[in-house]
Amino acid sequence: MKKSYIIIINILIVGLILFFIVKYANDRATESNRASIASFEKMTTTTEQIIANYLKDEQHLCDIWSNYINRSAEAGTPMTIDEAISFIRKAKISPEISGHLIYIDDGSMSGISTNASTTDPSDYSVNYSQIHIFENLEISNVEGVIKLTRAYTNPLNGVQSIAFLNNVKIVDRKTDKLRDGLIIRVVPVSRLEQKLVFLKGEYEKVEISLIDWDGDYLIHGKSLKNSNFYEYFRSYNPMSTQEYNRIVDTIREGIGSMHIQNSKGEDCVIAYTPLRGLDAWHLIAYISSKELTVNRSIDWLLLAIVSVGLLILLYFNLFILHGFNRKLTVAAEAANQANEAKSYFLSTMSHDIRTPMNAIIGMNEMIRRNSHEKKIQEYSEQIQNAGNTLLGIINDILDFSKIEAGKMELIEVDYTPVTLLNDLVNMVQNKAEEKGLAFQLDVDKKIPGMLRGDEIRIKQVITNILSNAVKYTKEGGIVFSVTADKAEGKADEVILHVSVSDTGIGIKKEDLDKLFVAFERIEETKNRNIEGTGLGMAIAQSFLHMMDSKLQVESEYGKGSTFSFDLRQQVVDWEPKQFQSERTQYHVPFTAPEARILVVDDSEINLKVFVSLLNETGMQIETADSGETCLSLFRRNHYDMIFLDHMMPGKDGIETLKEMKECQDTPNRGTPVICLTANAVSGMREMYLDAGFDEYLTKPIDTGRLEQLLLKYLPSNLITEVTEKHRILLVGSNIARVKQVAEWLSEHYQVAVAKSAEQAVAYLKKHETQLIVAEQACEFPIGLDEAGMLRICLEDIDKKEILSQVNEFFDGRD
Amino acid sequence: MRKCIRLILVVNLVAALGLGAVGCGKDKKESKAFSPKYDTETEYRLSVVGTYSNFESLESTFERFYTYYPNGEITYTYLDDYRNTIEPALAGTEPPDIYVVQPWMYKDPKFAALFDSAEELSDADLEINLDCIRPGLRWEMEGGKILTLPVFSTSYGMLVNQDIFEKEHLEVPKNYGELKSVCDKLKAAGYDSPVMGANTTTTPGIGYAFAYPMFAKTVADDREIEDRLNNLDASAGEAMRASLERLKEFVDSGYIDIAKCTAEIEDDYNAVIMRFFEGDVPMMLCSGDVVSGTKKRESKSDAFVAKPFAYGFYVAPSGDEGGYYMDSTSLLFCVNKNSANLDLTNEFVRFLTSEEQLGIMAQDKRLITSATDYSLDEVYASLADFPKERTISFRDTEILDTAVKQFRAAAYAIANGDMTVNQAVANYGTIPTD
Repeated sequence: MKKSYIIIINILIVGLILFFIVKYANDRATESNRASIASFEKMTTTTEQIIANYLKDEQHLCDIWSNYINRSAEAGTPMTIDEAISFIRKAKISPEISGHLIYIDDGSMSGISTNASTTDPSDYSVNYSQIHIFENLEISNVEGVIKLTRAYTNPLNGVQSIAFLNNVKIVDRKTDKLRDGLIIRVVPVSRLEQKLVFLKGEYEKVEISLIDWDGDYLIHGKSLKNSNFYEYFRSYNPMSTQEYNRIVDTIREGIGSMHIQNSKGEDCVIAYTPLRGLDAWHLIAYISSKELTVNRSIDWLLLAIVSVGLLILLYFNLFILHGFNRKLTVAAEAANQANEAKSYFLSTMSHDIRTPMNAIIGMNEMIRRNSHEKKIQEYSEQIQNAGNTLLGIINDILDFSKIEAGKMELIEVDYTPVTLLNDLVNMVQNKAEEKGLAFQLDVDKKIPGMLRGDEIRIKQVITNILSNAVKYTKEGGIVFSVTADKAEGKADEVILHVSVSDTGIGIKKEDLDKLFVAFERIEETKNRNIEGTGLGMAIAQSFLHMMDSKLQVESEYGKGSTFSFDLRQQVVDWEPKQFQSERTQYHVPFTAPEARILVVDDSEINLKVFVSLLNETGMQIETADSGETCLSLFRRNHYDMIFLDHMMPGKDGIETLKEMKECQDTPNRGTPVICLTANAVSGMREMYLDAGFDEYLTKPIDTGRLEQLLLKYLPSNLITEVTEKHRILLVGSNIARVKQVAEWLSEHYQVAVAKSAEQAVAYLKKHETQLIVAEQACEFPIGLDEAGMLRICLEDIDKKEILSQVNEFFDGRD
Repeated sequence: MRKCIRLILVVNLVAALGLGAVGCGKDKKESKAFSPKYDTETEYRLSVVGTYSNFESLESTFERFYTYYPNGEITYTYLDDYRNTIEPALAGTEPPDIYVVQPWMYKDPKFAALFDSAEELSDADLEINLDCIRPGLRWEMEGGKILTLPVFSTSYGMLVNQDIFEKEHLEVPKNYGELKSVCDKLKAAGYDSPVMGANTTTTPGIGYAFAYPMFAKTVADDREIEDRLNNLDASAGEAMRASLERLKEFVDSGYIDIAKCTAEIEDDYNAVIMRFFEGDVPMMLCSGDVVSGTKKRESKSDAFVAKPFAYGFYVAPSGDEGGYYMDSTSLLFCVNKNSANLDLTNEFVRFLTSEEQLGIMAQDKRLITSATDYSLDEVYASLADFPKERTISFRDTEILDTAVKQFRAAAYAIANGDMTVNQAVANYGTIPTD
């Protein structure tokens, strides 16, 4: 992971923690705020109760006055206005409160007061004609109902006051008639304000206002501007008329609170409640939001400390991480260097071993092809086996390296399972026989003729299993079984069941887990004489995993093991091909005498191997021992294919290829160039293809692969496919004569010789032959197919005669 | 890392220096503007009483004063029946610290106590900067004493829809000739009544707003007639002739449709503003008090909200040379010298008496400032640098209210064709005013 990602993730985590802390704090704040507002609302309703009780008390006192006056009237002894005022003057206790009694029946709204005017101590007259406070007031003498005016200016002392009212009946002495009067209990607003002083303790900055239905103030909070609360609200809280009306209705209709903006644009909270007993009056408690949130239960200091702590931790972590990163970088560099050294070693080892191996295996192949001596053939086969084993070890190491690097890929091709099995049997059977082990082959005849899959890897898996079976079995035998079943639900697929059983040393249960561990060899001490890298099973299991399969092991220690796996393969051709276990002699699959090939390699022996391997194709093969020579020939002569080695002194293969590609003056533009290299480590194929090679062929040269490439890249008109020669077994006791006749027949047929019937029978047990040519006297066991036998007089017959008879035999059969 | 720390330190240092510089600058500016004389922690409670039911612009000034003296409260209270209650209030148990007076109260025995109770604001010890008041409004009484602080001034003229003038490519007229020319063009452009106004006998009414300043100028130029006018002597009616004839000529020329004004403008305040905000009246005759109501009503007029336009207050160009600017006081404050908090009351008045505070208050109220600088409110920008020879301040004339009422009644009757100019002149003193 990149350092920047780690930093980003760290920052994100710190950010998230801070986010959650802030969110938590905010939630708590919101909760706290809600609680504060609820408490504020509660305070408002408490205040309302106090004010309502006070107003009720004041009204009650006013009622006492009016009741006394009215009862006198009801009793037939009505009071005059002076008597009534005199009574009130005696009844009232507080000097701040005054009583006014005015006539209302004549509209004069004038009368007298308990207190004199402040400007004239002898003047007790009072006039309300210019003070409009009685509009919209319906005054009825119902006990307990508060009849209250808005705040107004007391005409006698100019003090802002409120008035409690009641109707009274008084007598006018001038006329002796009862008149309608209004008794007014005048209370200074400041007296009401004093009732709210108690609030200062809890809410220092709360401002209480009392408003009437229209919003006009009775008591005016300091911060609330305007003479009308609703106008004030609208001035500083812009909104649509509908919204405004809704808010006014809300305040008028219930108890609650809301946030508003004051004249400075600050957020404030108002709590509102109607005054009980006074429908038209409302109490508004106003407080700044800041004041309400002062007591919030958020510990901002703690939050800040946590934030700073996290940031320090982040910085510290990044610092430590930076240190670790530096160490890791150093370690990674060392590991990279080690890995590069390993790669270099593998590459070098592979190259350096494969180069001489190419010569060994190549030359041995030539011996196998050209020698008919049994002993030499046997020696050659042993060389081939040893070579293949060595190559297998190198391949295992290289494959494991590829698997470790995650560079191993499956390459699917169409293949003939019969051929694959043939190769496997040919490879293992000899080894088994050499150890005196019975090798039993059980191949299902229903196996389709052609499948699609990674033939090389399948072959490698089975080879590893079979090789192990041979290696770890001292006596008894090996059973190699391959069967096929149609895959369920997939019409074009088949499941191959592959199983290898042996009577070998077996594996302990506790060791089964070690079986697939790389470089782990079970009972190392006991088996130290048995060759192996400990990679075979690990590689086999890895390949099977890649092919969605798994190697199963059943083993009994000391008695033997069974390795098996099921493999799903796509079917290309369902028609089965007959499996024949035989050792085959090499036959050149095609000839191309007109084809011109250039092979470039700094190793003279490898050039010789290449030329020898393709000798029978008849192709015109030119060699070059360096890049420079190659380029010289490249510019001068036309070639149909070029095989170019990579690692050469002087100009290497890639440099040479680059110059070849850049070369304009050449008859070889478009000529395919195949990389012929002993460098077979992982990633090399891609590297060579990227470098511009058309294909990649590793050393030691696999003749079959080489011939496949030639068939693929050579122009088809240059190729003549060679049909396989009929196989003839020539039996005769006169060795010299048998050799002579065999030589004649060899020009057209594949000829094997036997000097006796017994030898011929032994040969036939292991080899297939289409015709037995035997001298008359030779006696064969009963049951030998006479129809495939031609009797001749070996001593007298000439070349023409023998060829005529043999040709006639095969013509008749065809 | 070191680089990072260094960067943070540098940024902090620069920020601190920057803030310090800003802070220093602020302090300096404030000290120049107003420097408290008393301990700013002083606790106080002041009251202002007046005739406005709503005085938000003053309440905003309280807020600004609180920034210097935060531990107090100043309340404004509207007194019912002010004429009768202010004197008892001053003598009462809760006397106001500041109260409102009007010029007409002076020398009226009924209001003598108001002036007797007033603190002398021109006392040098109070350090009140009365020089910021326009000289015409500065009211010096016997012995050069100044007892009142003019807070607002007012005038009479017209609201002009500047967008219409711009649309019609016209200039706002400066004299009567231009007025006629502009009205002709506006009529041709489809404005049936280029000038409108409230058809009332009140001061914002058509007759008063258009013709009274011309009448006042006549009186100011010949003050000998003043006593006869105030005594309602019929012979003084001649002083009204020129202004009434000009009004008659203007109405007869069809530039103002009196019937339309009567039908569409129901009162002399709210209806005038709301009709003007309809946006199709090029010129609306009114008083400065009416203009003060425009700010709050902009949002209440659907037409103005939908299609706002620029407008301004101009002197009505009734004279051949130009209009006449009546520079009248609108509101005067007195400080109660018996105030329980006299020091802080004087301190508040000292704070208020500045170009800035008076300008802001006037701007908030949308009345004309009493200070020399008109620049704060663009609506009144036309009044700046108005020619002195055509400016009449309240001290240039002493026309009593009864005489003014005679003129208003005469102007109304002439505008409505109820009376000829000759009749009005002849009947001066007996023209019905109800």
